[in-house]
Amino acid sequence: MFVLLRQLQRLRRDAALTAPRRRGSLALRHIDVGSCNACEHELTAVSSPYYDMARHGLGIVASPRHADVLLVTGPVTTRMREPLLKAYESMPEPRTVAALGDCAMGCGVLGDVAALAPPLDELLPVAVRIPGCPPSPDAIAAHLLAYLHGEEPPA
Amino acid sequence: MTPERFTRRDVAPAAWRGEVAAALADGWRFAGLWAEAAGGDGPALRAAFHRHGERLLLAAPAARDTIVDLVPAAGWDEREAHDLHGAAFAGHEPLRALVDHDAPTPQWTVPVEGRDVFQVAVGPTHAGVIESGHFRFHVVGERVLHLDLRLFYKHRGLERAAEGRPVTDALRHAERACGADAVANAIAFAHAVEDARGLVPTPDLARARTLLAELERLYNHLNDLSAICAGVGFAPGTMAFAGLKERAMRLNATLTGHRFLHGSVRVGGSGLAISAPAASELRSALAELRAETRRAWRELQFAGSVQDRFDGVGVLALEDARRLGAVGPAARAAGLAIDARTDAPRLAYRELVPAVPEQPGGAVAAPVEVRGAGLPVGVDLLDELLAAPLEPSVAEPGGASRRDGLALVESPRGQTLCAVALGDGGVVDRLHLRTGSYANWPVLAHVVPGNLLPDFPLINKSFELCYACADR
Ligand code: SF4
Repeated sequence: MFVLLRQLQRLRRDAALTAPRRRGSLALRHIDVGSCNACEHELTAVSSPYYDMARHGLGIVASPRHADVLLVTGPVTTRMREPLLKAYESMPEPRTVAALGDCAMGCGVLGDVAALAPPLDELLPVAVRIPGCPPSPDAIAAHLLAYLHGEEPPA
Repeated sequence: MTPERFTRRDVAPAAWRGEVAAALADGWRFAGLWAEAAGGDGPALRAAFHRHGERLLLAAPAARDTIVDLVPAAGWDEREAHDLHGAAFAGHEPLRALVDHDAPTPQWTVPVEGRDVFQVAVGPTHAGVIESGHFRFHVVGERVLHLDLRLFYKHRGLERAAEGRPVTDALRHAERACGADAVANAIAFAHAVEDARGLVPTPDLARARTLLAELERLYNHLNDLSAICAGVGFAPGTMAFAGLKERAMRLNATLTGHRFLHGSVRVGGSGLAISAPAASELRSALAELRAETRRAWRELQFAGSVQDRFDGVGVLALEDARRLGAVGPAARAAGLAIDARTDAPRLAYRELVPAVPEQPGGAVAAPVEVRGAGLPVGVDLLDELLAAPLEPSVAEPGGASRRDGLALVESPRGQTLCAVALGDGGVVDRLHLRTGSYANWPVLAHVVPGNLLPDFPLINKSFELCYACADR
């Protein structure tokens, strides 16, 4: 185990992560409504040692009832429409919906119309849009932080 | 070695079962079954088999009898052909709903009755960054008696959407069926189309694709090991392997401009070029990654509290693996020598010997070992593939063009079948993708009963299946 911990220590040094600029936190709840799974991989990577979003106050929570932000990945399939709306209903206010990735933003979606529900922003009020297919861990963190601190989203 | 083309055998619906039984008796292994719109009443039926690199396609103008008693691995395939294409299978009783979500609960669950039996329903959404799918556990206390899977929440109708589209468009559908197996899916599609068109890859093309496939396997297996550590709450392992995965993905980005290598596989050729200096840089980065991975892997093997958790849970018996058509690391862990890379004349694997555990046993420890031991094998192969610079390449004509194409490729999760039927003007009439995850989900459901409910995440992660490419 010590070898692993040393390896992690070295990795942290190499990654040379910047110190957080400001205080504040967001509790994020992820929901997959039909992604290809790459957006999930990148969202997971945001918590990995090379990015470590926790130091900025960004954390994934297990229930929508504990969440400030609903992070949505994938185009909305007909079958995930209900679970999506239910997750949103369960959130305390104020609540925010973030579209993570091109699919969730309704761009370049592949699939059969019969299997897809209307795009996310016709179903829920989307406040944060994180473009990319998939967006890089850096981009995910940058958009969420800009939202947290009331800044313009990164170009 | 010129790739052999597959054999197509047309059979009457009444002879379907007999032909399947004869093929199995001849040593053919089942690789997938699917329906295809035929224009008459009801869909036509196809089944694919493989035997040491040879492939066989059975084609019937209509479905009639089930083969599920002969090939239990075809269970999901028949249920899907029924739900999506209306094919009927006499003798498949009860034919439970699979893709169809409108069916009431008793139509897709297995009745489990008795004293103190209750159900634990989990999903479709989960308490973390996890894909959507539903698990219904029938338990007594903490002991699982039966597990009903209900996937296809992410069904996007990708196969149907690809129909009638040009090949380059359909390729994107196959690729995006799964972001993490995108290369394997895209290569399978490219092979299937090239097989239909009578095209043969040049050595450089084969090398480019093998390189991409192994880079994909590398970051996936690092990811799987990280996830397995998370499954037992071993944070140092989770983070160390997540860090190694990140490094592998950065190499992908340097090489192809995409962390997941998306868009790097084409049909009929490859645009991938690697200069001599770039190749040697990549080789030294891989060598470093190999050394660190080795160290992390050794540490994991000596972490007693972790190894204790891996023993004795999630045991897949060899006979069950064979019967249920398990593929990939899970199958090899059970002692079943199945790896599409060993019979891949269209790729540059040559004499590859896939990693197998020292003691095949199929408990969680074994698939973990298949991945851990497979990592250096994969990196060594990458090193060999990078020994010479790479130029863009184009496939060569090698035979007459025909309608059907069939391909088998080993994805990080196991053998993936892609079948295409090409129509007039180069459009795709039918695309079918049967991924390693699709093959293994029913195997997982079979392995879980008898284990404790809290061990499910660990068992699930030892398979590390993907929902997206099963649901399509
Ligand atoms: S945006 Fe791209 S990476 Fe994300 S789910 Fe859609 S296809 Fe996959």
